[in-house]
Amino acid sequence: MKGTFIINGQSKTMDFNSDERLVISLRNNGYTEVKNGCLEGECGACMILLDDMPVHSCQIFTASVQNKNITTIKGIGDLHLPHIIQESFVEAGAVQCGFCSPGFIIATYALLKKNPNPTENEIKQAIDGNLCRCTGYVKIIDAIKNASKLIQKERVHS
Amino acid sequence: MNNLNWYFPKTIKEATDLITKEKVLFHAGGTALLPRNLDKINGFINLSDLPLHYFKKENDTVEFGSMNTYANIVSKIYEIDSENILLKSLQTSADTPLRNRITIGGSIAFAPPWSDIIGALIVLDAKILLSGENNGDFPIEKFLQNPKLKQNSLVTGIKFNLSNWKSFSYRNIRTKKDMPAFHIVAMLKIENEIIQDSKIIITGTVNRFDKIIEVENYLKNRKIDDIEFSQIEKLVDVKFTGKRFSDPEYSQKLVGIELGRGIKKLVRNL
Amino acid sequence: MKNLNTIGKSKKKIDALSLATGSAKFVDDFEIKDPLFVSFLYSPYAHAEIVDIDDENAKKIDGVVDILHYKNVKNQKLHTTAGQGYPEPSPYDTVMFDSKMRYVGDRVATVIAETKQIADNAVKKITVKYNVLKPVFDSEEALEKGAPRLHGDERFVPIPVKYNSENNLAAEVDFAFGDVEKAEKESDFIIEKKYSTHYASHAAIEPHSTISYFDEMGRLVIIASTQVPFHVRRIVSKVLDYPLSKIRVIKPRIGGGFGGKQEVFLEPISAFITIKHKRAVKIILSREEVFQSSRTRHPMKVKLKTAVKNSGEITALSLHALLNTGAYGSHALTIVSNAGSKVLPFFNKVKNISFLGQSAYTNLPVGGAYRGYGATQGYFALNQQVDIITRKLNLDILEYIKKHHIKTGETSEVFKALGEGSEGVAQTIHSCEMDKCIDLGAKEIDWYNKRDKQISLSEDKVRGVGIGFSMQGSGIPLIDMGAASMKMNDDGSFNLFVGATDIGTGSDTILAQIAGEVLGINLDKIIVLSSDTDLTPFDVGAYASSTTYVSGTAVKNCATKIKNQLLKVASNMLDSDEKNLVIGNNKITDETTNKSVTLGEIGEYTLYTKDQFQVQANASYVPQLSPPPFIAQFAEVEVDKRTGEIEIIKFVSAVDCGVALNPKLAEGQIEGATVNGICYALTEEYKFSKSGKMTNKTFNDYKIWTANDMPEMKTIIVESDEETGPFGAKSVGEIGINGPLPAIANAIYDAVGVRLYHAPFTAEKLYKELNKK
Repeated sequence: MKGTFIINGQSKTMDFNSDERLVISLRNNGYTEVKNGCLEGECGACMILLDDMPVHSCQIFTASVQNKNITTIKGIGDLHLPHIIQESFVEAGAVQCGFCSPGFIIATYALLKKNPNPTENEIKQAIDGNLCRCTGYVKIIDAIKNASKLIQKERVHS
Repeated sequence: MNNLNWYFPKTIKEATDLITKEKVLFHAGGTALLPRNLDKINGFINLSDLPLHYFKKENDTVEFGSMNTYANIVSKIYEIDSENILLKSLQTSADTPLRNRITIGGSIAFAPPWSDIIGALIVLDAKILLSGENNGDFPIEKFLQNPKLKQNSLVTGIKFNLSNWKSFSYRNIRTKKDMPAFHIVAMLKIENEIIQDSKIIITGTVNRFDKIIEVENYLKNRKIDDIEFSQIEKLVDVKFTGKRFSDPEYSQKLVGIELGRGIKKLVRNL
Repeated sequence: MKNLNTIGKSKKKIDALSLATGSAKFVDDFEIKDPLFVSFLYSPYAHAEIVDIDDENAKKIDGVVDILHYKNVKNQKLHTTAGQGYPEPSPYDTVMFDSKMRYVGDRVATVIAETKQIADNAVKKITVKYNVLKPVFDSEEALEKGAPRLHGDERFVPIPVKYNSENNLAAEVDFAFGDVEKAEKESDFIIEKKYSTHYASHAAIEPHSTISYFDEMGRLVIIASTQVPFHVRRIVSKVLDYPLSKIRVIKPRIGGGFGGKQEVFLEPISAFITIKHKRAVKIILSREEVFQSSRTRHPMKVKLKTAVKNSGEITALSLHALLNTGAYGSHALTIVSNAGSKVLPFFNKVKNISFLGQSAYTNLPVGGAYRGYGATQGYFALNQQVDIITRKLNLDILEYIKKHHIKTGETSEVFKALGEGSEGVAQTIHSCEMDKCIDLGAKEIDWYNKRDKQISLSEDKVRGVGIGFSMQGSGIPLIDMGAASMKMNDDGSFNLFVGATDIGTGSDTILAQIAGEVLGINLDKIIVLSSDTDLTPFDVGAYASSTTYVSGTAVKNCATKIKNQLLKVASNMLDSDEKNLVIGNNKITDETTNKSVTLGEIGEYTLYTKDQFQVQANASYVPQLSPPPFIAQFAEVEVDKRTGEIEIIKFVSAVDCGVALNPKLAEGQIEGATVNGICYALTEEYKFSKSGKMTNKTFNDYKIWTANDMPEMKTIIVESDEETGPFGAKSVGEIGINGPLPAIANAIYDAVGVRLYHAPFTAEKLYKELNKK
């Protein structure tokens, strides 16, 4: 099949099989920043924003989300212009192997957009669709708290 | 690889016509379809363009279009009734990203043993709205008991009345993100410190769900001070298959304890 | 520590931003032109002989390139998949394609096709005729006479160790000193208990992945998710009888290892296909395959007998560890050895000790290296036993541990007795802050206000606290080797080349910090290239808690050689006496004249100006010792007396890892290991059907925790100065996983008086025990 998608703000046509999962289509089309860890909607490494909502891209048929807005981690910030959340993850030591990081940062981005000042419990629940085996989550939670502070500070300033 | 046709109907009529003509399945969020063997079908009818994302409230009656996700339902009900049993049942179901994708329509049509939505809908006496070969409003229990209702028909929504009964939901899970081994939902009508009525459902049992009529009868017209919670435990007699990960004997013991505790907490917090 | 530039500072991980923005590359992210894809056919039987394979129908499918199995892959070499020092102490009991299947998930055949879907479909079309054999699943039964035999006579271990495939004995090691029997007779009482631990998955979020292809010069390139790139090169070369000089192994970013990627079981097949078909190959395991057919934590049964005086002194200790190594003997000897060698020295004053470690083949998934490496299993037993002894004698367990543990300046006979399939290496402890770990950890958990108090804050619920102490090692003495080389660039920056393998731990950063400290420069002046067998020097890889201590010392020595060259050049440039020169802040300064040259000026000078030469050096390091880090871990649990449910309220780890070169990364190692240990204690477990098939091969059913399950966590770094380590460092990678299992078990006992000898501690299990009482 062929379909059009709006990926990181740009219109993109992709070829895909009719029973293909979105994570596979994205990766086949060069969006390798979307990681594939389990294909069962459990690990969250493949998380993207679909119309601004965080979802497991392995739990979606590509065909079903044509013409939708898809945001990958690179749509949030890249190496040359990183997002505050990405910098907070780096600063806090929340990135060890980093395979899960794009997913966690996507989940964090969605959380802070909706709720810029979350409680610790709200943070924990917002990342309940992401598994990390390296950090034990401690530094990830630190990073999110810190990103929340920085984002609020930025709002006050601007 | 399987060559599937994707249909994108714009009206319910188009969708229900398609289902009679092709070997196809309705696709809502897709999360329940992905793990399935798709060899026997030749396509999907994608429902996302249908006007089924709606939410209506008229007096005490609430209606949700079947394409609402769990996340949608939770946030909408929260605004009108933060004590609602459906809210309590769904707000920690699956995980955040899955709640953004799982729809009520898909969930009701699929209704797995670990379903978090079924129990709440039963105690709420919810109606399932169908279009197609079977048209109209059907009580949830009737819908679950009669799989033929689904034939060539589309779940377009759910409808239920808001209630001021007290309620609780308990999911038996190993970690916070887990499919429950069983799920207890209970609603109690309490007036003047007397339990006027109650509805108690346990899902995940060998019968998929069980009404705990013995406990309902025990509670009926009983003063809350007279409730013996150990008695409630003894009255719960449901069986589990243990086909998945749970030890059925343990679940059987646990279900009584947790029902007793849930009721205790409810009546004590009055 | 005196004023240090980069050491002891929580420098940002140098690869972190590229990972956080998704631009860093893992194996599956490399763009490979027209790769072949594979799909594996696995045995549905735990024990069977393949009578015949019919692959004709599968071969007919359009896009299928080849199908490999024992019938068409000839002259296969026996080997071990364990990526260990060579010759390995693990048995050579594996071939790529065997005619005998030894567990559900053993490899029957490999389909190679143009797409993954075609390969997956073709696998289903292969028909296999099996002669099903009786399996054995229990490690004790496997060693009994008449048990089904897994491996034939031709299996062997390449070093002289005990091995007897006839009796399913994959490894055996023992030693003793003193007179255990006599001490037992003279003791006041004896405690003898049996403990057991269970199968677990490393569950690195990146599945095992391998790419292989011929580069433009015709050399075989393997990009692998591995902890051991140099072992990969050696093993592939030997298994395929292919010249090592023609193989290049590249380790890109790795999505977690924990021991699971210390195994070389995909690379030989990938390389074989590339060599045979002259095509690129990509193999990415599915999650289900990772669970079932990669490697696991070995279950262990431990029998621990202690003879005790009423004073509390343990006068004799005998430990029998029986490892279930599964179908193949990867790490079978060394892990069971570690249950002794990392555990028994802790109480070094015990004068009479006997140790017997055995590993049994069974028809279950294959064990392998796993963070903690036998110490985890051994300390589970020892910690509970100490809890039992001190409770019986009404002694303060914290004071008891403080009194009896090994201390600075002391040694243990065990160090010398137990090594990696040979004698060990004698050593004296140079640094140990165990007492401080216990004190600070106890304070943080509020031990004395909670221990033995059975605090109940809500109906039916009661709380308890428990401790788990342990020590680990820092590399394998006289066996591990790490090497580094460095060169200087025009602008005063340096390339640092290391064989050491960063699998997410941050070792690239730590090693850069070490070099930066020696040269007085910041990390932005150091360009690290690690783990490429063509470009970097050798290193055994990321295992045995070795990288900081072993590879770090190599880097330190290498940077010191560079520094000496720079000082010499600077003395010419400044016309100064070398002994007046100091290096720091990107320059070399004559302290007597205050004249200085920048490193950039030196770089240009040496490359362009006069007596030009390349400032460069290399160094290797083989550790003479393995200084142990120490840890005290504390769990506070709340037990539901009616349901048996266990909630962790708080978990504290206080660790002595020497000087923490990068405190945040050190904490991260402890936190990650601790949470892995907590999940292992409570919710992680392989479940098997009666026929030996794993029944929970998904993250949905194999429960590792999310952030939402987390208790309050506290990690305390208790610094010591390990004089033999680079800038005082020991190791920190593994030790954190040892404590949760016993600390939680001890805390459960403290809460409800029930002792759980068999992990994991599920609610059902505790419920049954509570109702026995």
